[in-house]
Amino acid sequence: MNKKAGAKECIKEIMVFVKPYKVKLFAAIAMVLLSTAIYSINPSIEGAITTQLAKDAGEIMAQTEGAHVHFDIVFRIIAILAICYTVRAAAILLTAFFLTDAIQNTMHDLRAALQKKIQRLPVRYFDSRPVGDVLSCVTNDVDTLSNALQQTLTRVISGVLTFLLALTMMFRINGWMALVSLCIIPLTVLITKLFVGRSQRLFRLQQKTLGELNGTITELYSGFQEVLLYNKQKDAVKKFGDVNDRMADSAFKAQFVSSLISPCISLVTYLTIGTVAVMGCFFVISGAIQVGQLQAFIRYIWQINDPLSQVSQLSAQIQSAFAAMGRIVTLLQEEEEESEGTVSLKDRKIEGRVSFEHVQFGYDDELLMKDVNVEVKSGQMVAIVGPTGAGKTTLMNLLMRFYDVKGGAIKIDGIDIRDMNRQELHSLFSLVLQDTWLFSGTIYDNIRYGRLTARKDEVIGAAKMANVHHYIRTLSHGYDSMINEAANNISQGEKQLLTIARAILKDPQILILDEATSSVDTRLEKMLQDAMQKVMKGRTSFVIAHRLSTIRDADLILVVENGDIVEQGTHEELLAKRGVYEKLYHSQFARNVIEE
Amino acid sequence: MRLILQHLKRYKLLVALNIVSVFGFALVELGIPTIVSEMIDEGVMKGDSAYLIQMGLRIALISVVGVMGTILLGYCCARISTSVTRDIRQKVFEKVQSFSHSEMNQFGVASLITRTNNDAFQIMMFLNVILRTALMTPVMIVVSFTLTIRASLDLSLVILSTVPLIILGVVIVGKVSAPISERQQSSLDNINRMFRENLTGVRVIRSFNNTEYESERFDEENVNFMKQSKGLFKLMSSTEPVFFWVMNVSALIIYFIASRMIDTGDLQIGKLVAFMEYLFHAMFSVLLFCTVFMMYPRASVSAKRIMEVLNTEPSIPGTDSFEDKEKQTIKEAGKDKAKDSETHAEKASGEEKVKSLVFDHVTFTYPDGEEAVLKDVCFEAKAGETVAFIGSTGSGKSTLIQLIPRFYDVTEGHVFIDGVDVRQMQVEKLRDKIGYVPQKANLFSGTIAENIRFGKEDASMEEVVHAAKVAQAYDFIMEKPKQFEEPVAEGAGNLSGGQKQRLSIARALVRKPSIYIYDDSFSALDFKTDARLRACLKKEVTDEIVLIVAQRVSTIMDADKIVVLDEGRVAAVGTHRQLLSSCQIYHEIAASQLSEEELQYE
Repeated sequence: MNKKAGAKECIKEIMVFVKPYKVKLFAAIAMVLLSTAIYSINPSIEGAITTQLAKDAGEIMAQTEGAHVHFDIVFRIIAILAICYTVRAAAILLTAFFLTDAIQNTMHDLRAALQKKIQRLPVRYFDSRPVGDVLSCVTNDVDTLSNALQQTLTRVISGVLTFLLALTMMFRINGWMALVSLCIIPLTVLITKLFVGRSQRLFRLQQKTLGELNGTITELYSGFQEVLLYNKQKDAVKKFGDVNDRMADSAFKAQFVSSLISPCISLVTYLTIGTVAVMGCFFVISGAIQVGQLQAFIRYIWQINDPLSQVSQLSAQIQSAFAAMGRIVTLLQEEEEESEGTVSLKDRKIEGRVSFEHVQFGYDDELLMKDVNVEVKSGQMVAIVGPTGAGKTTLMNLLMRFYDVKGGAIKIDGIDIRDMNRQELHSLFSLVLQDTWLFSGTIYDNIRYGRLTARKDEVIGAAKMANVHHYIRTLSHGYDSMINEAANNISQGEKQLLTIARAILKDPQILILDEATSSVDTRLEKMLQDAMQKVMKGRTSFVIAHRLSTIRDADLILVVENGDIVEQGTHEELLAKRGVYEKLYHSQFARNVIEE
Repeated sequence: MRLILQHLKRYKLLVALNIVSVFGFALVELGIPTIVSEMIDEGVMKGDSAYLIQMGLRIALISVVGVMGTILLGYCCARISTSVTRDIRQKVFEKVQSFSHSEMNQFGVASLITRTNNDAFQIMMFLNVILRTALMTPVMIVVSFTLTIRASLDLSLVILSTVPLIILGVVIVGKVSAPISERQQSSLDNINRMFRENLTGVRVIRSFNNTEYESERFDEENVNFMKQSKGLFKLMSSTEPVFFWVMNVSALIIYFIASRMIDTGDLQIGKLVAFMEYLFHAMFSVLLFCTVFMMYPRASVSAKRIMEVLNTEPSIPGTDSFEDKEKQTIKEAGKDKAKDSETHAEKASGEEKVKSLVFDHVTFTYPDGEEAVLKDVCFEAKAGETVAFIGSTGSGKSTLIQLIPRFYDVTEGHVFIDGVDVRQMQVEKLRDKIGYVPQKANLFSGTIAENIRFGKEDASMEEVVHAAKVAQAYDFIMEKPKQFEEPVAEGAGNLSGGQKQRLSIARALVRKPSIYIYDDSFSALDFKTDARLRACLKKEVTDEIVLIVAQRVSTIMDADKIVVLDEGRVAAVGTHRQLLSSCQIYHEIAASQLSEEELQYE
């Protein structure tokens, strides 16, 4: 995420998601205003009771004739208060309901939009950054945003409003006392500034240490087999203990420093209350204010103290929410791949002729393929061979248009694949990757994934063809057995068989097998190859494999080295050439190498 | 909860200080209203200005004392919570280090990572709430009630009647929210899982044009999560206004009663003002107590998950000997008094080369498995021999060799090294003899040289270079800008699969072990490198025992002995040539991989 969206842009983008729920949101805000207003008036009304009672009590004490508490007045005030309290509670409840609905609906839409976005971003995007980064954006960042909105929005609004209203009320009661109370503000700002800078530095340090801790744990746990084998448990514990200590230390510092803010602000408040109380008492004696007003005034100071002491906490939350929002918006604004094509394949019968014409390609500026020309006839089996890391998967990336060629063209049945609709292009292929991908769900669902409209017997048929039917039947729940998240409840070989069944079910024109059979044991592979033979019949297929036995039967062999196709031809032709392929072929036997 | 208490023990003093400092907070929060009420009753009514100023100073004094208390509270709280979390993390980590394969598989690495880190973090958050808020509540309640009773007994009864109401409310909210919170959490896990699947399966999903299906699948969970979140948030945010309302109503009742008492002259007005303040603070602290209930479900789930780890006993006890070394040796010494001479012999042989490895009627069933993976397996490997294992998936090849370094222990039969059952040997010593190269190579962050030295800490640079050369890693290492000092990134993302495997082989080589075990360790190498590597290894490893598990016939056809496994049983043992003619299974495997000429050539 190179460029980050600015705050304005963020809000604009997020507002699009909020819009459908704006009625509820505004209703919630209106309710916040109402409840806050009542909250600010309450102390004055409560004070009125005290004043009335004090006056009456004074009269009683003075033994005035017929002196008694004016119950009619007191009761009237109590009734007003009761209404106020009830309205306020109702307003807060309504706020909570409206706001939760609005925010959670917005978050739902946002998540859905992100999920769709992921489907539309070019594959290049995911290859160029760690999965964890993108994942953290769509999960943690959305969470952060949701929590921040849920918790801070009302608090900020009501905090600001409370502050203003309380201040107004204070000035109405007594200007001098209000002025003294105003001292709280600059002092609070000063204290917050003093500590926030420091605590933010410490929190950053804590975050960094946390990352380190996480890294250490991940590494030592995933490498536990090595740790065991090399008897490194003690070293591991020491290494971890070291990071762990630093973690505890930095967490302590961050927590402690940030915990200082609140008591310091409280001290200011306490002292102000003390001063105001003394002043207030003198004013009461001089008759400038009434007892109830003094009581109300002190309440107002508490009311001001509340939002002030939360400023630092809220600002941290808002900051992290904006950071999260920035990442989300940046992701949402990433360029999508276009999928519309100019040529429709709907009415055509695709035979599966594939041709590379003067193809140039490289992942970055450097060209790996400079001028590749390959002609594959319909129904041919093409084997792609080459040493590890030679770029055999590049061909697949190009065929499926996960990446676009930088020059020349790839054509299927004479149509440039860039002119095709992406979905239609993909529908021509079945893909079996080395890195088997299954989702957590039943085995049945995973096979059916190949063609969602498939009937049950077709799914079972595909499983049978991939020689995995028998295995599935031995599982306790058969086809309804669940594959768990890490898919570690079934072996790699069986997983590959399932992906093959899935590919078979799709019944494509062109098959791409990416070293698909390397983990299937040899006996099973033989059976599988028989099945594959059947599947490949009448289909163009590209097989990326190490196994030379598979490619001996190939109609065409492409030899890949350093991302380029260096040789092509049949097995015999290539052997006769005495080039790269010949060496590769003979190196199957160690003694040949030694002889050389 | 027990988990937390257990770990709090170490910090008794701090906890005591923490409790004392809570009183400091209560002192100001409740002291100020008390003084203000005195000021009103005494000072105002009598117009005594000297008294008022004196009281003002008193407020300043207790403010300072109280704030000191709060600061102290912050200190204790931060210190205790971070220390306890550290201790818990350390304990979990140490426990995990004592785990063997079966425990690791039982939990899963990813889950153990979350347990060590995130779950411990949850406990810290909870502990913070407990130490700060939860402790404050009882203190505030007790102090303010004493004060209210002092102010007026009758009025305090009104308050007393609302307390059970509020406690009841808190309990109900806690009870109701716990399952919702759990459901929300698991729904969130599902959402995260689907996002991860979408990201890792980008190519597959697109090739199948299933983006619509994915969106539908996702939306189902997304809606579910939204519903759970709505429920939870609504419930949580309803508690506050409802409780406040109850508080407010009781305040009204107090005003009502108070006005009568004032009428009869039983109550002073200042007392009433103070009373309302106490009420306000006491209720507020009850409200704060709610946060404990909000956090409890999450924390208790985390604590449960941590306890699960801590309560798991490692199946192979020798592995945790670094932790309870003494205990272990005492136990063993007691048990094996008679074998004293044998342990001596074993100590001596630790330095020496292993001469033989024997599987004697070994049967093995995984801890949670029903059927035996290995059945009655027998074979012998002598020093200088290469023994290879081949067979179909599920034939038990990898399982078999995992029994040697005691990742698992045999169910029946014995594995002997030089005539000693491996279960009688000290695990560390046993593993020191073994150079095991797993299928999937794991490297650690650090330089390439450090990674090779992982096999032998005090290896000289020459030894490291030599091992790298034999493992065919030298060339690619030298191509790196910093060569042997090239850092290996976390997860070794900057190395290819083949390069990782070669480094992991070098790491085993530098150890100069007596037994080499290669568990399909050449699979990520291309044929050329594979062949060259094996040629070099042959020269290097002469009088050690070498065990190879492989898929490719070409990798193992030179072995002295090939063991063909079929569904956990030994189907045949022999050389490549012997097996080609005598073993049907082996012939099938070979035929699928080798050309006609090659088969005939043999």
